Amino acid sequence: MKQSKREAFVYLVPGLLFLFVIFVIPLAYAVGISFFRWTLIRPDLGIRFVGIRNYITILGDPFTWETMGRTLLFVVGAVLVEMTIGTAISLALNLNYRGHNIVQSVFLVPFMMAPIVVGFAWRFLLNNTFGPVPQLFRGIGLGNLVEIPLLANPDTVLLMLIIVDIWQFTPFVVLVVLAGMKALPAEPFEAAVVDGANAWQRFWQITVPLLRPSLLVAVVIRTLTALRIFDTVTIMTGGGPGSASEVLSYYGYRTAFQSYEMGLAGTIGILTMVVSLIFTIFYIQKVGVE
Amino acid sequence: MKRRNRKNLSKMLLVGVIMLLLAPYSLFAGGEQEAQAPDEEAPAVVRLVSERGSHTEAWKTRMEGFEAETGIDLELTQHPYANYFDQLMLNFTGGQSGFDVPYVSMLWYPALAKAGYIQPLNEIVEANPELADDMPGLVNASIDGKLYFIPYMNEVGGVVYRTDLFNDPLERKNFKAKYGYDLMPPKTLEQYRDIAEFFHRPPELYGVTLMGKRSIFLATHFMNRLWARGGNLLGDDMQPIFDSEIGITALKEAKDMFAFANTAALSYDFQEALTEFKMGKSAMAELWTTAMFHVSDPESSQVVGNASFVGFPKPADAQSEKRPRLYISWGFAVASDAENKEAAIDWIEYAIGDKQLAEASPTGTIPTRLSALEDRVLLEELPWLEPFQEALGSCIPTPIVPLIPEGMTMVNQFIAPAVSEYLAGNMSAEAALQEAAQKTHDLLKENGYYD
Repeated sequence: MKQSKREAFVYLVPGLLFLFVIFVIPLAYAVGISFFRWTLIRPDLGIRFVGIRNYITILGDPFTWETMGRTLLFVVGAVLVEMTIGTAISLALNLNYRGHNIVQSVFLVPFMMAPIVVGFAWRFLLNNTFGPVPQLFRGIGLGNLVEIPLLANPDTVLLMLIIVDIWQFTPFVVLVVLAGMKALPAEPFEAAVVDGANAWQRFWQITVPLLRPSLLVAVVIRTLTALRIFDTVTIMTGGGPGSASEVLSYYGYRTAFQSYEMGLAGTIGILTMVVSLIFTIFYIQKVGVE
Repeated sequence: MKRRNRKNLSKMLLVGVIMLLLAPYSLFAGGEQEAQAPDEEAPAVVRLVSERGSHTEAWKTRMEGFEAETGIDLELTQHPYANYFDQLMLNFTGGQSGFDVPYVSMLWYPALAKAGYIQPLNEIVEANPELADDMPGLVNASIDGKLYFIPYMNEVGGVVYRTDLFNDPLERKNFKAKYGYDLMPPKTLEQYRDIAEFFHRPPELYGVTLMGKRSIFLATHFMNRLWARGGNLLGDDMQPIFDSEIGITALKEAKDMFAFANTAALSYDFQEALTEFKMGKSAMAELWTTAMFHVSDPESSQVVGNASFVGFPKPADAQSEKRPRLYISWGFAVASDAENKEAAIDWIEYAIGDKQLAEASPTGTIPTRLSALEDRVLLEELPWLEPFQEALGSCIPTPIVPLIPEGMTMVNQFIAPAVSEYLAGNMSAEAALQEAAQKTHDLLKENGYYD
């Protein structure tokens, strides 16, 4: 027994070492730097230990909380819709019909596009002069909604980013949930049919509980990646108009590469990580399988 | 089973040990080649680093001639503009720059000089004293008497306008009837506004193209007017003064001009603004001078031969005064750890020769030497250089950000968001500028400017 435990440990060492190098060390560095004031463009000022002052500065700034609020609004809005629509699409794609493989492949195209390409493409689609979306609005008599460009209107810009995110990442949810559906056993459904359960009852009381592991994977991964959205914000809005589309990751980027305050940027990174952890723990406790 | 497991484990361990022993050889194999004794007859090499832009393409045309003339090899590494400065900083802070001559924006060199990443180049002006009068941009290239930056290209803030519209007899007649004076390239802020209003005929034609996306470009619309009205970003005591009455007026004027622009301009960056003007959708565009290269490109522009440039207007009562005007320059510096400073200086002196500047200019750069700007062949090819020369000569060339390391932060992090907030209607002009000024004050105080 002792021998096999030792052997098992030896087999685990390379993987643990790899995890330590690519995860623990950078994390420790990020945490460490958040206790220092390091202005990259002023190396003459040195790297000064400031204790928790960076945390006080960031957490005491109302702008941080406004940005956090915008980020959470984005995450909840995008992920909720992606999970709902994604699951519905998975149900439809789970049927056997002619050409269902082609349909599945087409659905995945947005997910395969690089976020930066998605940003440029949607910037074009929403362009107020020649973009097809505003022209469609004008064509159906809703031109007043696009008098101010959708990406330049503080009331609509976050919604546009949510829509772009839904367009791009719903296929990911479809992929994960569909894979889960393919692995579901047939017997519970057959028994339910025999017992007289209708389609909605079968879906809500059999499909959803059995799909919990897949749904958990999809919602956790989507939440964590939505919290880190950066490319589309940078390309489409630059955080504007004003700060109407500034999210945590872009705030961290500006602090690091426009203010060159690395300590403060590290603090924002830790804050983002803490928010991600809270979401993950919440999901696992509420949605996780026993 | 146990014996088989032990055998497998031993094999794995043996393979792992062999790999560990071999790994250092593969890691350092290249290094060993570099460690060979240098060949005494190998030519000197100057390592250049730059972004991918039109003026880089311009001085690249000079590289072959330099190599043939001097026997010095040039190696160039280029990065996309978007992350070029980040890449430079990462290289410098890594301890070894890896290059000799970085081609940088004038806005960057103060931070690089203060950090000790680039070295003084006073010997260039000492060896070429005519540069002091011939190169106006040199006044912004020194810190405490030490010259760190040699301007290669420059441009001023101004207005690109449609000469076909301005010269059209019917347009001229109608303009005079409405405003009481002749239609001409705007010299005053009042004329600029009138002309924008006159030509604003959406959706076929817009009076002016502006850049409304939150960025340093948007900030220039505020700064152009701030300087034209005699204001500035920082006072002599380094205190922010842009939240003055002049600043508030300038910011409000900037927003008012958007009334004569495409509503889409609220989300435009430089490229989109340039595209709108090139497509012939606007009568004027508030851009930099190098936009004229793109406007004159027959492959992408529909207004070739129908555009020119004028320096940013001033108030009517300040026409005889020299006021600050947005001045943008890129040029050469020499890294402090440059392996061959003399060869690096040879390249810089060659590239900024007036003949070299004039010959390279049509590729996409505007010479920084007045003697090069008077080149007759060049002026025939780029006639808009004449009004550019006038614009440069009639202003105080003023960098878009104060030439301190915190300058970029001031404009990118404080002023640009403030202008964007005001434009979006989230804050009043006074509140937006006061907030930006307070943040500027706090930053400069923290970094020791008021001690």
